[in-house]
Amino acid sequence: MSDLRHLSRRRLLNLGAAAGSSLLLPPGLIRSAHAAAPLPAVAEKDALIAFGHTGPVTDEGWTWSHDQGMKAVKAAFPQVKTVFVESIPYSADATRTYRQFVSENACMVFATSNYGDFLYDVAKRSPKVAFYECDGRNPLDNLSTYYVAHWYPTYVTGVAAGLMSKSGKLGYVASFPVPSVFSGTNAFLMGARSVNPNATMQVITINSWFDPQAATQAGTALLDNGCDLLFGIMDEAGYLQVAEKRGAKAVMWNTDIRRYGPKAYISSIVIDFKQYYVGEVKKRLEGTWTPSSTILPMGAGVDRDAWGESVPEDVRKQADAVREKILGGWSPFVGEIKDAKGNVKLASGKRMSEAELYNWDWPIAGISGL
Amino acid sequence: MAIRLQRLPSASPAVALAARAIAILLALVTAGLLLAASGAQPLKLAQQVLKSTFGSGFGLEDVGLLVTPLILTGLSVAVALRIGAWNIGAEGQFYAGAFAATGVALFIPGPSIVMLPLMFIAGALGGLIWILVPTLARAYADVSELITTLLLNFVATLLVYYVATGPWLDPGGHALATTARLKHDMPEFIGIVHWGFPMAILLAVITAATFSFTRWGYEVRIAGSNPQAAKYAGMPFRRHLIVVMLLSGAIAGIAGMLEVAGTVHRLQGGISNNFGYLGIMVAVLARGSCIGVIAGAALMAVILNSGIILQTQGVNTSTVLAITGLILFFTAVGDELAHFRIVSSKPAEA
Repeated sequence: MSDLRHLSRRRLLNLGAAAGSSLLLPPGLIRSAHAAAPLPAVAEKDALIAFGHTGPVTDEGWTWSHDQGMKAVKAAFPQVKTVFVESIPYSADATRTYRQFVSENACMVFATSNYGDFLYDVAKRSPKVAFYECDGRNPLDNLSTYYVAHWYPTYVTGVAAGLMSKSGKLGYVASFPVPSVFSGTNAFLMGARSVNPNATMQVITINSWFDPQAATQAGTALLDNGCDLLFGIMDEAGYLQVAEKRGAKAVMWNTDIRRYGPKAYISSIVIDFKQYYVGEVKKRLEGTWTPSSTILPMGAGVDRDAWGESVPEDVRKQADAVREKILGGWSPFVGEIKDAKGNVKLASGKRMSEAELYNWDWPIAGISGL
Repeated sequence: MAIRLQRLPSASPAVALAARAIAILLALVTAGLLLAASGAQPLKLAQQVLKSTFGSGFGLEDVGLLVTPLILTGLSVAVALRIGAWNIGAEGQFYAGAFAATGVALFIPGPSIVMLPLMFIAGALGGLIWILVPTLARAYADVSELITTLLLNFVATLLVYYVATGPWLDPGGHALATTARLKHDMPEFIGIVHWGFPMAILLAVITAATFSFTRWGYEVRIAGSNPQAAKYAGMPFRRHLIVVMLLSGAIAGIAGMLEVAGTVHRLQGGISNNFGYLGIMVAVLARGSCIGVIAGAALMAVILNSGIILQTQGVNTSTVLAITGLILFFTAVGDELAHFRIVSSKPAEA
């Protein structure tokens, strides 16, 4: 198992190197040239780089992955000081935490979740500090946004899910009704419907990214309702364990966590921010930092994990063929696409732009509960 | 002659204050030893906390911002305690107040000078309505307000999540599920601290004065310490209970309004920051005194703010929580011990 894992990691990195410049957004999303001068250089020994996380770094998921990125920064620039605060609530406590980073002279502050105004309030008052908001949509003169094009590997795993679900009823454990959830549910169901047009998806939102107990309850409720395959966007493995216990299947997020449910595990949307973080810190230290908006593409920051042991060979082949097609430039997100109310939202033949995929804020037909 | 401990009905203020100071000191020493054992440098950390909290306008502003809702939720609990009621629902009333104030701000057009007072009234009414059913249930059916107020917290939390992620969701496509930014901001008082801060202090002072210097306040205090005696003396216990509990809810609702209008500017789940529950701690720290709530809230705000500073120094969240718990635990023990005095009594008098 660990061989497979390394293989996929290495492949991911190779692809990343090959992709090189594709780390940047497709032309449509690059923000207009920044007028102000870059932030001045910072000596490596004087640099304090701060990370603010929504969950604990031990979650083996989202926050853990970002923490790996921080460790990569530390390895690349050994004299840089790093600090992180975990489990920051979405309240004025977030503002206090980010203010504290600034008052301790951090030169870069990474928010690995969207803290919105709680972060902008601090960024606007600290123009000499470079801020980052993961999954952010509101770049400022000193705030960059970054995310991963998770909808592509999600579509690929959706194809596998469509082939493996017997009932065609998929379940989704959601955090909040936000774009990353909509693009997740939609891409997954579109992938499944490409092989099983009757597939449907039921969604339960639990108002948290990290709440193992609520995720477990939601997973159980979805299986009780007749779903036999679970997907979601949780930072931990709660609903995978439910699926394992109940003999269902599951697709996960963030990292390889198959050991929590080896039979249920189909794959995971694995993320890797290491290269991105190291590159951004380098820019700041060199004095070439300007704000940017980046979505890491499939193969260089996000991908599917190595397939689980219960995924049959023909399913792997069929889904991977789709993956190769996407890597070759094909997009599955082409009209006609209807929303859950039956309105045509994307005309026939029209292709969704990366920006539209990133900001997707409506559920497609076949999804209930969002 | 034997030496024994004697428990006094109330501790003398000087002894109580000393006990509290010793308790906090002991808690900090214990926390320091634990931190040292885990490889941290407690003295350096303490220095950093003091410097960050009191050495800069930044730190003081943060404390000022934190203390505002804590004074009000603490006051809410303390007010109810005056008549012997435990309002565990300040959290829910906080959300109800935030919800009502947001509703007014989102759907009624008008200039801020008119809207802010309207939001204030809406916030107070929201909190009041949220405690209405527990109040009537307690007054007329003797249903424990402890349970009813607590359970309504979950309802209020989910109500806010529902509107913020559903009907009132900001259509701007924000990644965080929240309402639109409200157009009316509480004006700033000092730095980032808004006018809610002096208002909270004023409210605590007025409430304390009302309890101390009016006939109504006197009756409520009597009714709180001995309902039977109050009834026997012809005081309208039920009416006092209803008024005091509704007032308690309204104060927590105002806290929610101020947090939305002064600090967060949007309604979304999680904004209460547990202020409602922390209000119970504040009231206990203040021993139910309305004016003591200001000091209790200040202590709590410093502790919470220190927690954030400690986290940015690499101390993890659980350790910070444990330290907070230690301080409160030691304080509670100290408060109890302050009631005792050592007496050497003659057997004949025993």
